[in-house]
Amino acid sequence: MKITSWLKQLFSRRRLYDDLSAEIHAHLEEKIDELVATGMSRRDATHAARREFGNLTLIEQDSRSVWQWPTLENFFMDLRFSLRTLRKNPGFAVVAILTLALGVGAITAIFTVTYATLLAPLPYPNPGQLVMVWPTRANRRVWGASTGDFLDWKRESNVFQDLNAATASGTSFNIATSGRPEHVIAQQATPMYYRMIGIRFLLGRNFLPEEGTPGKDHVVILTYELWKRLGADTNIIGQPLRMDGVPYTVVGVTAPGPLDRIQFEMIVPLVFRPDQINHGFHWLFVMGRLKPHVTLAQAQADMSVVALRIAQDNPQTNTNWWVSVEPLQDDFLPPATSATLWLLFGAVGLVLCIACVNIANLLLARSTVRQREVAVRVSIGASRQRIFAQFLTESLSLAVVGGAVGVALAFALTRVIVSILPQFTLPSEADVKISGAVLLFTLLVSLSAGVVFGCAPAWQACGVDPNSVLKGGRTGAGRRRLRQALIVVEFGLALTLLAGAGLAIRSFWNLTRVDLGVRTDHILTFSLPVADGRLAQPQQMVAFHRELLTRLQAAPGVSAAVASTGLPVEGTRGGIQFWIAGAPAVPRESRPGAPLQAVTPGYYKVFGIKIIKGRAFTQDDSAGGVLVAVVNENFVRRYLPRVDPLTQRIIVETKRIPGVPAERPLEEWQIVGVFRNVRSFGLRNDDVPEIDVPFWQNPSPQAEIAVRTVGDPSTITKSIAAVVASMEPDLPLANIKTMNQIVGDSLAGDRFSTMLYGVFAALALLLAVVGIYGVMTFAVAQRTHEIGLRLALGARRIQVMHMVLREGMFLALLGVAVGLLGACAFGRILKSMLYGVAAIDFGVFALVSLTLLASALLASYLPAWRASRVDPMVALRYE
Amino acid sequence: MKKPEQRDLFPGALEMMILRTLKRQPLHGYALVQHIKRTSNDLLQIEEGSLYPALQRLLKEDLVKAEWAVSATNRRVRLYKLTPAGAKHLQLEVSRFEKMLEGITRVLAPGES
Repeated sequence: MKITSWLKQLFSRRRLYDDLSAEIHAHLEEKIDELVATGMSRRDATHAARREFGNLTLIEQDSRSVWQWPTLENFFMDLRFSLRTLRKNPGFAVVAILTLALGVGAITAIFTVTYATLLAPLPYPNPGQLVMVWPTRANRRVWGASTGDFLDWKRESNVFQDLNAATASGTSFNIATSGRPEHVIAQQATPMYYRMIGIRFLLGRNFLPEEGTPGKDHVVILTYELWKRLGADTNIIGQPLRMDGVPYTVVGVTAPGPLDRIQFEMIVPLVFRPDQINHGFHWLFVMGRLKPHVTLAQAQADMSVVALRIAQDNPQTNTNWWVSVEPLQDDFLPPATSATLWLLFGAVGLVLCIACVNIANLLLARSTVRQREVAVRVSIGASRQRIFAQFLTESLSLAVVGGAVGVALAFALTRVIVSILPQFTLPSEADVKISGAVLLFTLLVSLSAGVVFGCAPAWQACGVDPNSVLKGGRTGAGRRRLRQALIVVEFGLALTLLAGAGLAIRSFWNLTRVDLGVRTDHILTFSLPVADGRLAQPQQMVAFHRELLTRLQAAPGVSAAVASTGLPVEGTRGGIQFWIAGAPAVPRESRPGAPLQAVTPGYYKVFGIKIIKGRAFTQDDSAGGVLVAVVNENFVRRYLPRVDPLTQRIIVETKRIPGVPAERPLEEWQIVGVFRNVRSFGLRNDDVPEIDVPFWQNPSPQAEIAVRTVGDPSTITKSIAAVVASMEPDLPLANIKTMNQIVGDSLAGDRFSTMLYGVFAALALLLAVVGIYGVMTFAVAQRTHEIGLRLALGARRIQVMHMVLREGMFLALLGVAVGLLGACAFGRILKSMLYGVAAIDFGVFALVSLTLLASALLASYLPAWRASRVDPMVALRYE
Repeated sequence: MKKPEQRDLFPGALEMMILRTLKRQPLHGYALVQHIKRTSNDLLQIEEGSLYPALQRLLKEDLVKAEWAVSATNRRVRLYKLTPAGAKHLQLEVSRFEKMLEGITRVLAPGES
């Protein structure tokens, strides 16, 4: 039908319908009159006329539908009817809508995170063209390219519109702000880096190409968040900003967006010093924008040619080095993070399934009650399709309303998730908010949920036999079976989730009880970002830190203070390649490496690290003395088995300078002690070999400071800052944390996922309990008659109660059996995330099974008790 | 749902009979169905009501038009008239039907093959 004529008819239709009704009535009257004239009684004549005419309602409906767009209009009619029905049963509607809203809200919130992280296109123009170029060795990505590689790639490749680099670790500046000095992390990027990406600006401009040359490079771009923190001055462009005491000109402020979700807060141009242009030092992230229509494979092929040429011309540094071109999207996302996101998504999916099962059960129960209504409708001419469509429309309107409430819930949930999500877990491009795409997903999910939980009741409703129902017959064995099966499924799903959460909680508990090898109480740590160049000579570094530690130790509330180039759990700044003296010299590529940390003498005492062999460092282990080192148990086990470690020496090349490759003389370090293993690199890593050296022999301009305090470590920050200020008024304290906070932060990711699993499992349990309660209550109500009869025939009340409880527990037990299978599957998937727990843990599984059974018992108890209170007189009179 | 009369008549048959009847004279619904039943010697099983959806279809396609009038027995009735378009449509349908009938007859005729 054409839309225009349909619209025209829409307005004249009232008259058409009235005419039709009047006409049909006139028809019947004429017929009746005629029959009466033949001598029939008026009553018989009316019946006869009706019979001859056929199904009055249906015919009128069919006649009208000629003028209609039937599917659409029926739908609207069903919709109006559904909403009316829902309004008339507020109790049912509220329970069903809330149940669905919980499921939809949870899945929407998690999908919001998943979508932003894994699915949404990057918020840059033509994001598909952006690629990362990584050097690789033995098929493994190396986290940084050398300056020489980068410049050669850029010059010799043919597939990029542009290729740019930024330093992997960034740099930092102390900037003078009103009041106190502030330490800001900056990224150094080649001038066209952000122009290539297509970052938008709030104020000012991007860097110009010439700002990548020495002398013109004292310009800075601020991120939106930093700009706001500095006072949101709209006239800041062109103003000087003192950074490490040097004036830089502010040329731009980026628009709010990805750069506000990353560690660094400002950008300065990256200028290569001549001595940094080499193939040995790997310190750059290289990003490119492919020319239009260039595929990843073409880019890879082109770059492979370039890499081969570089390797041939620089055999010393580039033999066996290759190159990999990868899409920027998700290139920095650890696989564990995306796995966790998908797992959480699966978990909420289960919650939603449980919610659907619950609602299906509610609807089934209701459709039993509504059999009469359906029977009447069928007997006056409603077709089965119409009944089916109407019931499905009811479910769908329920789904849409529930979905809408779910979205409201999702807004709140998303906010909670973002607030507990550990910082920098997600890529900076992931803008976690409820977007159009997310809403579309929610709508689809709600509608499919509506179809899922609506089909069974609708199918049952259109199978109603009007004859038997209207005569008062009972149907129902089949329906009860279906409802019971649904409860079993529901319990199975709930147990799966509970078991998963149980494993996650158990694993988290294990992590919190890991022996770190250090004491974590009464320790405050911070770092001192001394400006580059401020302490140029080793003697200056030593003198500065000696003075600082002396002053700190004298401060009230401080019992000891130490400096180091790393901290337990947080890790060390770098590693070193070495070999053991006496073994044959090993070429550089195949030397083993170990994390290296320089510490001042009191370090082991402050952190309570046990020296299990030999000694710790003393103040005498200083410049000019014998070069010494202390290693951990793992080091001894791996590299010095079957020898006395205290007789061994480690040979290394001396320290490197950023950007300059090492071609320096060798040093020998005498091992003087062995310390007990410390979890230096997160709580899960326990087999890292480590080397510690005296800070006084290997000083560094920047260090971490740890102080052991007498009282609560978090309260003495101010007096510590005062001590630092007494030496260096412009030097801020960075990363101020107690050791307990460091441990807490390292658990943030696990805490986050464990918490969500726990919440989802609790939701699942709640829904399952509500579900079994509903089904048992309904079953008891349906069987009131039968129960009354049993009681009248002499059954004891306790027997009736047992009968109901037995049914509930039987269903729960079946559900648990199904769920244990699911739990085993879920456990296997979770396995890689777990710590100290097997995928199948009998303790956990037994505990969650018992929890579920106990909840089922409680939920069936009330209906059972009610069944035992049935008054046989009332029950039997009732029919 | 399949209506019983559609099982008995082929689609469009009722419409064709209505148009043919109206070609002779304008009639109202009741008279129309009585006429069809009488003329067919009650051979066709037609529910009286089934006329109305068909009439609505014809109305909608402008093949008939309807207006309220007073009948000979002094009843207010809705009188249906054939439109020129309806007359043309009838002609077309009848010739198509005759062709079809001829075809069917030939197939059903005994002895020729």
